[in-house]
Amino acid sequence: MHQPLRKYIPATITQSYFQMRARNRLIESTDTDAINVSPLIDVVFILLIFFIVSATFVTLPGIEVNRPQAVTGKALEKNAVIFALSGDNEIKYAGSTVQLEEVPGLVEQASKDKGKPVVIQVDQWADASILAKIVALARKKSSDVSIATRKPRA
Amino acid sequence: MSPEPERTEINVSPLIDLVFILLIFFIVATSFVNEVGITPKHKDTASSSSNLEEPISFDLPSSGQLLQDGMVIGLEQVAPLVRSNSSDKPRSVLVRVSPGARAGLATQVMDQAMLAGAQAVKLSPLTP
Repeated sequence: MHQPLRKYIPATITQSYFQMRARNRLIESTDTDAINVSPLIDVVFILLIFFIVSATFVTLPGIEVNRPQAVTGKALEKNAVIFALSGDNEIKYAGSTVQLEEVPGLVEQASKDKGKPVVIQVDQWADASILAKIVALARKKSSDVSIATRKPRA
Repeated sequence: MSPEPERTEINVSPLIDLVFILLIFFIVATSFVNEVGITPKHKDTASSSSNLEEPISFDLPSSGQLLQDGMVIGLEQVAPLVRSNSSDKPRSVLVRVSPGARAGLATQVMDQAMLAGAQAVKLSPLTP
């Protein structure tokens, strides 16, 4: 079908043109209808940026406690230093048991001079005097110390 | 039809692979901790005017009872007590806990006091 063209186009150009056509045909025949992935990459990038920005990396205490009920409970800051006081009066931080004396140091270390709030997840059967001591110690290093509660069932 | 300049397509597949791996890492690593809680606020540097006013104190002995001024009261009486005592101006509440008292009860007392509009709530340990 390109036969008439050949007469009017210099040989060198014709040569390269037909070589190109041939190559393009070859590519087209091998991967037929390549999917345009650019929109996919766009969406994936947007998701990636969202998750990078929203990532806070809080270290969880590693135990689940039975929180006391409270009606005035408000949503707490997500990016916090979290301690847990278990039912058998063990203070947990980042999956391990810590001593009461270590609490101020850990708060200082974890907040890195940014003044992160402290959240204490307390078991309702834990000893209140230990809770009071943790609150007092944490307050030396952070101005915002909260006790995690749960909403009472209506 | 002019001859097109030679176009070399960049192979984006490794890029997509890498981006997907990063995406999955961040999805997995993102922990949406939705914690609700109470913040017992109290001023460490109390001004002289508020210093004059005695806080309403509640005692939690190791027996598990709740005492106010030496009398055993129920948890539901905390809010009315705080409210009636702070009719003219909000007062602060002090919760004194002895070793052996339950943290759940202490938290609920603080919660009730804050519900009644206490200006500040302080939790303080009592040494036996």
